[in-house]
Amino acid sequence: MKEPKIGVYICWCGTNISHMVDVKAITEEIGDMPNIKVSRNYKYMCSDPGQDLIISDIKKHKLNRIVVAACSPRIHELTFRKAIENAGLNPYLFEMANIREQVSWVHTDIEAATEKAKSLVIAAISKVTHHEELERRTVDINPATLIIGGGITGMTAALDIAESGFKVYLIERDNKLGGVVSKVDLTFPYMSSAQQLIKSLINKVSNNKNIEVFFNTKIKEINGYVGNFETKLKLQKKARELKFGNMILATGLKPTDPESIHEIGYGRLPDVVTALEFEQMLIKGNIKTKAGKEPNNILIVHCVGSRNEKYNPYCSRTCCMTALKYSNQIRSALPKTSIYHAYSDMRAFGKGCEEFYSQTGRKNAVFLMYDQKNDIPTLRRAGKNDRCNIIAHMYEKLSGEDIEIPADIVILMISMEAHENVKQVAHAAGVSICSNGFFMEKHPKLDPIATTTDGVYIAGTCQSPKDIPDSVSQARAAAARILTSISVGKVEIELTTAVVNEDICGACHTCINVCPYSAISFDEEKKVSVVNEVICKGCGTCSSACPTGAISARHFTDKQILSQIEGLLAVSNKLSEKLEMEEV
Amino acid sequence: MEFQPTIVSFLCNWCSYSGADLAGTSRMKYAPNIRIIRVMCSGRVDPTFVLKAFSEGADGVLICGCHPGDCHYHEGNYKCLRRFLLLQKYISQMGINPNRLRLEWISASEGKQFAQLVDEMTEVLIQLGPNKFKEITQPA
Amino acid sequence: MNSSNNNNKPKLKMAVYWGSACGGCCVSILDVHEALFDVIANADLVFWPIALDTKYKDVEAMPNGFIDITLFNGAIRNSENEHMALLLREKSKLLIAYGSCAHLGGIPGLGNFHNRKEIFERVYETSESTVNPDGIMPQTNYAALEGNLNLPEFYDTVKTLDQVVCVDYYMPGCPPQTERLLEVFMAVVNGSELPQKKSVIGAWDKTQCDECDRVKTDNKLVKKFNRPFEIDDDLTTCFLEQGVICLGPATRGGCGYRCIKGNAPCRGCYGPTPDITDPGAKMMSAIGTLIDANKPEEIAEIVDQIVDPAGTFYRYSLPASILRRKLI
Repeated sequence: MKEPKIGVYICWCGTNISHMVDVKAITEEIGDMPNIKVSRNYKYMCSDPGQDLIISDIKKHKLNRIVVAACSPRIHELTFRKAIENAGLNPYLFEMANIREQVSWVHTDIEAATEKAKSLVIAAISKVTHHEELERRTVDINPATLIIGGGITGMTAALDIAESGFKVYLIERDNKLGGVVSKVDLTFPYMSSAQQLIKSLINKVSNNKNIEVFFNTKIKEINGYVGNFETKLKLQKKARELKFGNMILATGLKPTDPESIHEIGYGRLPDVVTALEFEQMLIKGNIKTKAGKEPNNILIVHCVGSRNEKYNPYCSRTCCMTALKYSNQIRSALPKTSIYHAYSDMRAFGKGCEEFYSQTGRKNAVFLMYDQKNDIPTLRRAGKNDRCNIIAHMYEKLSGEDIEIPADIVILMISMEAHENVKQVAHAAGVSICSNGFFMEKHPKLDPIATTTDGVYIAGTCQSPKDIPDSVSQARAAAARILTSISVGKVEIELTTAVVNEDICGACHTCINVCPYSAISFDEEKKVSVVNEVICKGCGTCSSACPTGAISARHFTDKQILSQIEGLLAVSNKLSEKLEMEEV
Repeated sequence: MEFQPTIVSFLCNWCSYSGADLAGTSRMKYAPNIRIIRVMCSGRVDPTFVLKAFSEGADGVLICGCHPGDCHYHEGNYKCLRRFLLLQKYISQMGINPNRLRLEWISASEGKQFAQLVDEMTEVLIQLGPNKFKEITQPA
Repeated sequence: MNSSNNNNKPKLKMAVYWGSACGGCCVSILDVHEALFDVIANADLVFWPIALDTKYKDVEAMPNGFIDITLFNGAIRNSENEHMALLLREKSKLLIAYGSCAHLGGIPGLGNFHNRKEIFERVYETSESTVNPDGIMPQTNYAALEGNLNLPEFYDTVKTLDQVVCVDYYMPGCPPQTERLLEVFMAVVNGSELPQKKSVIGAWDKTQCDECDRVKTDNKLVKKFNRPFEIDDDLTTCFLEQGVICLGPATRGGCGYRCIKGNAPCRGCYGPTPDITDPGAKMMSAIGTLIDANKPEEIAEIVDQIVDPAGTFYRYSLPASILRRKLI
């Protein structure tokens, strides 16, 4: 190993880090450590001038190891690796210390936070000292794309990619395309037909030669990595193997089960219907009670299952406008029917939506506010003399009165949840799920359609509740990202794989079944285990399972991690010595 | 000054490290006693690392991985769990209170749980007092 | 052996000493049998308490670096062991930690599950065969009529040789295989280039499994751990695959897998492969990985079948392990 010449850079992140961590003191103290040639701090290390600082130091001081203490490596590790590479240094001779997400943002004591930051920096220095150069490897991107979900999102993305001349495999678990939009009559706020919208898309998809649709199909397992994924489909007649370079998860939504919300009486009272059931009445042009009568009173209950800790804490975003849409449609169809909205807040943030709200407000509907955090209207069967089917009881927040509302039909604006297959798909595709059960994006603001697994994108309501324009935007964004990667043609793949030292491997076979990807096989001639580095995803489990130390997990070797531990505890060791000295 | 324990923690990149980051982005506050090492998977955590941390003076070691069934690498967390249970038996034999070594599942969305876990474990370690192993392994 | 002494070369000066040891290492040297003639043709044994009547003061009188090779066997249990280690280090050009005890602490190293107090109480008070109504305990000083008598101090903690002095090479084994000793000895005699200092000699880098001829498959998952007597050994299948903990996968070869050939699982006396920080942890990690259960209760049940993990995985290496001893 060449003598380490390490450059250490501590980021202020404006004041995000520097308000809680004494970056200057750390810079100074680190500067006195052995092998540290440069120790600096700077306002924004990730900015161009910040990166240039590193690049010019590498050139000027012939640095061969770099440590940046800043935000989470999950945010800027790649940024700095690129900068280091631009300076001619192998990008893996680099380590980040996370002193923002895991220090300055979570602690309140400057002294303790500074001590902790310092120990993280020293640990990074100890680890980077043992880093090895890893050679860049690229693989060709398979231009085919797998899209899971044949709703409006999946179909839109499929068309964008297919119309650019590339193959798309569209997987639909149902026996037809269209998803939830195909069950909707009109769209808000312009009252255009959802049916026309979705039917024209289905036609285009069905007629596009580049799109192959698989109906009644579920994905069990996906193997491979960005550029070269593969999956085996079990079709009715035969198995089919698909190979593709990227994938879009567009698995869509599931309405919350209304029976889980007991107060609301769904299932007990025949004329309590969900929004999607009401859409069917609208599509048929037949708004009638179960008994076949025209309703005199319709109550629309908002936020059913949304914005309530008991059910879903989030807002489902589309129900307010859909409820207004119903108000308009009912008013046109049944001019004499009374329309009541039991709502909590009106959320009308989309383009044209606030206007839609004020127009609808003028069309003779009664808006009654309830406290959705603590309460939900309760429904009971009306008595014989009530001249309506159902009586809703609620506390009206604005008047401060308990009121009863007559209704012949009650429409529940059911919340949106991620589709029930989201877990299984997440597992197959190797992506995470957020606390509300939706797919988790790579970055909530800067990269909402990518995931932490390269080559896997998410779009539409499987990422969070959203309306059609937002779903379509995400679909087209994901398609654009994939088209970019196809046009580049190559992608860099994980270098931090496992590798077997054949001089040590004793052929005990322990590792072989440990690998979840079957990347390890036994070479009968050499009598050693062999890792297929293209399949290996670098989890490092085999390295820990290997009793001889023959398998090392690149970039996370035993030596690197053990040094990191030493570095991590160097500060507290010194500190406790100091304390003991003081006590003496 | 009250004894301040040091916790060395191994977090898997996909779930737990993200969960710890989420605690940060959500500005949750927790005890500054924890020092985090990122590994790709909890399955990478070798008992050697844990023993090394104790010998270097860690008062506690916390391993976190994805919830069972949610491992980014399918089942690395199970392998971690098996080693952990064996390792706990070993450290108990060696006179280390098994409460000094914990394995918990933290998902990428459980920033709050992570913050609570750190606070709780710090409290337990304050009660247990310092780990004396360093005196054996690093005689003055 | 065909390398009798070439008369141009002066004979090597060789010493053998035992610290806290059972004597097996010394016997392994005697086990050279007729090759002893080659040894003494090439070397003079200048100090070997088990075989020669030489005194400590003879060693003290030697100039520094006088001895070419010292084979130090046994662990450092008491102040005498330590004193002799320091003395022999000074007097020897090459100091070799010979055998498991000097190398890793060995069986005496299991004393690190206790301290002096516990050991003395057991040995001098509570053991079934002890009659000691006056509770007499060993003393380091005793004023006898004839004058002051000194006994070495018994330490709380057993150490390996290299935790006390700088060691040039390690020859593992309990005891080391005699053929390996002869190979090393002749390499020194013939002036062959020696490996890098501080390395293990007289053993392979590869493990027991590399030589072991039991059949190994990929299916190593274990539902139940068995003691060797609990299985009906088919004599051909890998012990691990029969649920018997065999330390062969984590133990250097070089012994000729003697135990396994004798149908007993390897216990790890040859120590870990190169660059391993903790000898038992690696095997513990491998064994843990192979447990065939995912539910904590089920795993715990299987783990419980390993009655004594510390004694199993660190049988020969407790003092050389990361934790070194039990915290008492």
